[in-house]
Amino acid sequence: MKKITKEDIEKIDPLKKDLGKSWIKVGMSTCGVAAGADEVYATLIEEAKKRNIEIDIRKCGCQGACSVEPLVEVNVEGLPKVLYGRVNKDVAITILERHVRNKKLLHDYIFEIN
Amino acid sequence: MQKKIIYLKDTDSTQQDRVNDFYTLFSNELRDTNLIEQASVVRIADMGLYEKGVAVKILPENIVYTGLKNTDVKKIIEETIKGNKVIKESLYEKKSKQMRAVLKNCGYIDPESLEDYLAAGGYKALAKVLLEMKPEQVVEELKKSGLRGRGGAGYPTWMKWNFARGMNSPEKYVICNGDEGDPGAYMDRSVLEGDPHSVLEGMIIAGYTIGSSKGYFYIRAEYPLAVERVQKAIDQAVEAGLLGNNILGSNYSFELEIRLGAGAFVCGEETALIASIEGKRGTPHPRPPYPSVKGLWEKPTIINNVETLANIPQLIFGGGAKFASIGTEKSKGTKVFALTGKVKNSGLVEVPMGITIREIIFDIGGGILNNRSIKAVQTGGPSGGVIPQEFLDTPVDYENLGKLGSIMGSGGMIAIDETDCLVDLAKFYLKFCVDESCGKCAPCRLGGYQLLHLLEKISEGKGEMEDLDKLKKISYAMQKASLCGLGQSASNPVFSTIRYFEEEYKKHIIEKKCPAGKCKALIYFKILPPKCKKCGLCFKNCPSAAILGSREAGYVIDPIKCVKCGLCFDVCKFKAVTKE
Ligand SMILES: Cc1cc2nc3c(=O)[nH]c(=O)nc-3n(C[C@H](O)[C@H](O)[C@H](O)COP(=O)(O)O)c2cc1C
Ligand code: SF4
Ligand code: SF4
Ligand code: FES
Repeated sequence: MKKITKEDIEKIDPLKKDLGKSWIKVGMSTCGVAAGADEVYATLIEEAKKRNIEIDIRKCGCQGACSVEPLVEVNVEGLPKVLYGRVNKDVAITILERHVRNKKLLHDYIFEIN
Repeated sequence: MQKKIIYLKDTDSTQQDRVNDFYTLFSNELRDTNLIEQASVVRIADMGLYEKGVAVKILPENIVYTGLKNTDVKKIIEETIKGNKVIKESLYEKKSKQMRAVLKNCGYIDPESLEDYLAAGGYKALAKVLLEMKPEQVVEELKKSGLRGRGGAGYPTWMKWNFARGMNSPEKYVICNGDEGDPGAYMDRSVLEGDPHSVLEGMIIAGYTIGSSKGYFYIRAEYPLAVERVQKAIDQAVEAGLLGNNILGSNYSFELEIRLGAGAFVCGEETALIASIEGKRGTPHPRPPYPSVKGLWEKPTIINNVETLANIPQLIFGGGAKFASIGTEKSKGTKVFALTGKVKNSGLVEVPMGITIREIIFDIGGGILNNRSIKAVQTGGPSGGVIPQEFLDTPVDYENLGKLGSIMGSGGMIAIDETDCLVDLAKFYLKFCVDESCGKCAPCRLGGYQLLHLLEKISEGKGEMEDLDKLKKISYAMQKASLCGLGQSASNPVFSTIRYFEEEYKKHIIEKKCPAGKCKALIYFKILPPKCKKCGLCFKNCPSAAILGSREAGYVIDPIKCVKCGLCFDVCKFKAVTKE
C-alpha cells in the first residue's frame, strides 16, 4: 500500500464500508470465537464457494448481544437486515441456502430484524 | 405491492406464552379476509423488546405495535395490512437508550481492514490535528469536552495531557492501558478487538499533543485476539504512513509497540504498569511523582485507558463542545458497560452519562432473569460497591456513584437478585484482591487477609456481633494506609455491603441464616413428609448417599452426610424438599 495522504482520507468514499448490497458479517470477538464463530465463519466461506453462492462474507467486532453468540448478520437485497443468534455450522449452511439463495428467513434464529 | 410480513413475539415473560394463540388469530383473520397473498405471519425468537406484551413488527414498513390484545388483531389486519394506515394507539416508538459513540464501529466494520476504518471516517481527526491544530488547541478541545479517564478514577484527561505537554523533556511516552483485570469486565477487549484503529488514532493524537514520539500498548497476555488485531492495525498504519516518520506529510513522527501484561490485576495500576514495561517487577510505587512528571524510564508519560483513547478521534472530529453536550454536569460523553449477572440480556452496552441504572438494567438489559426481583447492582468490580434497589433511579455519573459508596470503575455492572447473598459477594471480591495483592505494603497484605477471614467466619455461621465493627475498622485502615489503589479500594465491597445490607450480615451472625440460601454452612435441606410423594427421585440423584429411606417408607436427609449440593431441591417435582 502506498502512503496515504490527507486528501486520501478526506475523499475516501464513506459508502465503501457498506459493502455493497448483499453481505454476511460474523461477530469475531473473543466471546464470538469462544462460542464457535471461527467455525461458522470458515463454514460460510467454504460452503458459499462449494455452492457457488456469491456473497461478501466479513468479520466484525462485538455487536453487544453477547449472550446469544455466535452472531451472524445477513443483508440480502430485497430482504430485511437480520441478525441471527446462536448460529452453528448447520445453521450457517441453512443461512446460505435458505436466506441467501432462496430469500427466506430462518425464523427460529432471528434476534433482530430491521 | 410487496408482500408484508408480520413478525410476532410475546415479549412478556411473566405470563404463558400467548404467541400461538395470536398466531392462530392472525392466520385466521388473514384467511377470512383473503389477504394471504398480501401478508404472512411469522413467529420469531427475539425482537429486542421486553416486557411490552404481545408485539408485532410489520415489514417492509417497519411498524412496531406492542401491548396487543386479541381484539387488536382484526384492527391491524384491517387498517395496517389492508389500509396501509398506522394505528397510533398501539404504536411503539423506538427510542434506543443506547448511544454508540466509542462502539460505533464495533460490529459494523471489519477490524482487520484499515480501509473499512477510513471509510467510517477514521483518521480524519488525526489529519485535522496534525495539519491544522497546535497541541495547545488539542488540549483546549479536551478541556471543553470535559472528558475524564475511563480507567476508573475519572481524572480529567486534559489536565493529564497538559501536565505532560508542559514538561521540558526530549523524551516522553504515551501508554495505552489495556490490562483490564476486573473479573467480569471486557469493554476494553471488545474495543481493541472490534475497532483497534480508533485506539491507535487516539494514541497518535495524544503523542502529538504532549510531544512524544513513542507509545506503548500494554495489553494483557490473556487477550491474544486483541493483541493480534492491534498488531495488524499497527502494521497497516506503518505501511500507510500513519505511523513512522512524517505522518501524513507533517513534521510529526511517532511509533507504537505492544507490551504484554503478565495478567496480574495490580499491573493495571499505572505505576506498577510502568515498572512492568521497564522489565521490573510489577509493583506499585508511591505517587507523587506522578507519571506525567516522571513516568516510564523516568520521563514524562501519560497513561490512559483504552476507552479514554478511543473517545479521542470522535471528540476531536466533532469538537469538544459537541462532546460536552452529552452527559451530566461533571461527567460528559458516554460510557461502555459490561452488563452481566442476573439480567436477561447480558452484553456490552454504551449509554450516555446521566442515564439511570434502572434504565440500563430494565430497558436495555430486559430486566431480571426468571422474573425474580432485583436486590442491588454492583459496579466497579473489586474496587467498587453495591447500589441497593432503592437507588436504581440514580443517574449514572462519577459523582453519584461515588456518593452511593460505589465507583464508576472501568465499567463492570452486575445485576444482583434475591438469590444472591451479599456476604458471599463481598467475600468473592475480597478473595480476588487478597489473591492479587502484590504484598508490598502491610495494610493491604494483612488487612485483606483479616477481612477475608472474618467474612468466612460469618458465612460459616461462626460470626459474632463485634466482627461487624472489626470489619469496618480494618476496612477503614486499608483505605487510608494502603500504598496503591488496589489496597485502598479492596474493602469497598465490604464497606458498601455492610452500609446497605447490615441486616443480612446480622441474619448470618445472630440467626445463623443466609436469607439468599447461598452460604452453604447455613442452609439445611429437609424433606417435608406431607408433600413427599415417595417418588425416589431425590434418592437417585443425591451424589453423597445422604438420602435414606425407600419408596415404601419415604425419605429423609441425613444432615451429616449431606454436602448441600441442592440437587434434591432442584429435582423434586412436588416441592417436597425445602431449603432454609
Ligand atoms: C489495582 C488497580 C488496577 C487497575 N487496573 C486498570 C486497568 O485494568 N485498566 C485501566 O485502564 N486502568 C486501571 N487502573 C487505573 C490506572 O491506574 C490509571 O488510573 C488509568 O489507566 C488511567 O487512565 P484514564 O485516565 O484514561 O482512566 C487500575 C488501578 C488500580 C489501582
Ligand atoms: S495496596 Fe496492596 S497491591 Fe497495592 S502496593 Fe500495597 S500490597 Fe501491593
Ligand atoms: S443437598 Fe445434595 S447432598 Fe444433600 S441430600 Fe440433597 S442431593 Fe443429597
Ligand atoms: S463481545 Fe461478542 S457480541 Fe459482545
